[in-house]
Amino acid sequence: MFKELDPILHSQLRLAVMSLLIGVKEAEFTFIREKTNATAGNLSVQVQKLKEAGYIEVVKQFKDNYPLTTCKITPKGIEAFDAYVKALQQYLQAGQG
Amino acid sequence: MPNQNQITEKESLEIITSMIQKAKGTYYETGIGPILWGSVVSFASFVTFLQMKYEFTIGFDVWLLVLFAIIPQIMISMREKKTGRIKKYEDDALDTVWLVFGISLFCLIVYRNAVPYVTTRLIAAEGWQMMKHYTDGSKPDEALIPFVPSFYSIYIMLYAFPTLVTGLVKKFKPMIYGAILSYGLFVMSCFTSSWNDMLLGTITAILCWLIPGILLRKKYLVQKTAKANV
Repeated sequence: MFKELDPILHSQLRLAVMSLLIGVKEAEFTFIREKTNATAGNLSVQVQKLKEAGYIEVVKQFKDNYPLTTCKITPKGIEAFDAYVKALQQYLQAGQG
Repeated sequence: MPNQNQITEKESLEIITSMIQKAKGTYYETGIGPILWGSVVSFASFVTFLQMKYEFTIGFDVWLLVLFAIIPQIMISMREKKTGRIKKYEDDALDTVWLVFGISLFCLIVYRNAVPYVTTRLIAAEGWQMMKHYTDGSKPDEALIPFVPSFYSIYIMLYAFPTLVTGLVKKFKPMIYGAILSYGLFVMSCFTSSWNDMLLGTITAILCWLIPGILLRKKYLVQKTAKANV
């Protein structure tokens, strides 16, 4: 019985954001944008979706009079990512078999 | 990453792998801190070595430079914090290791400066003093201030400790090799005279901080240039 892939994570940009955040404690929005090569607008929308799902925490503050957005994966996000990777493994193993 | 449509399982795996690698391969340490400390400590150790070996003095305590280096270090740390756009899980732990290293170093300096004089006072209160006695009788006996022999060996050992922790945690081989070699130099320094210890201390600072710092700086600049060219 295959587990269904989490639709929140099964999207190119959202998965990229989560994969970046899984390895770090926190990352600035500009860093994520640079690594994913996404536009600021598109990234904002996807980050918002991840936030609404409770997978990431977004902190908006000011540093030297400039807005600074920092993203951090939540325990729920880690759990979801772990489940997604496990489900993915099942699919890939079935594909090889 | 323009396409938000459905992705295959294989593509998902590729995205995960590539993003984890990107986060791992980000060098946000500028290397300036290790270069600064490597230069200052190796310089101070080497000048002390020369003064001890050739019996001259430069007229001031060269180790004051180490004290003054704290000011640019604070400025560097503040600037790096501003530009550091990601924080890795190990960063806080490593900052703590270096803080504890700094405190331990300070305590050693206090120990080295206070204990000989306090000991002299305490034993004087008991009515005796330490004497230097020439076994061949070539010179008359003279009063001696107590000291810890080959004390710089302890510093060499201490320099290697946070370096090895950082190297292992960050998987940064130059620091791992530098620290391991420094532990070897520590053992060697136990069998050499004090002025030779200073020379070994110079090599330790170069191995632990200066060389890894230069390599870190190189990596950082390569990454910065690559980013500018995108």
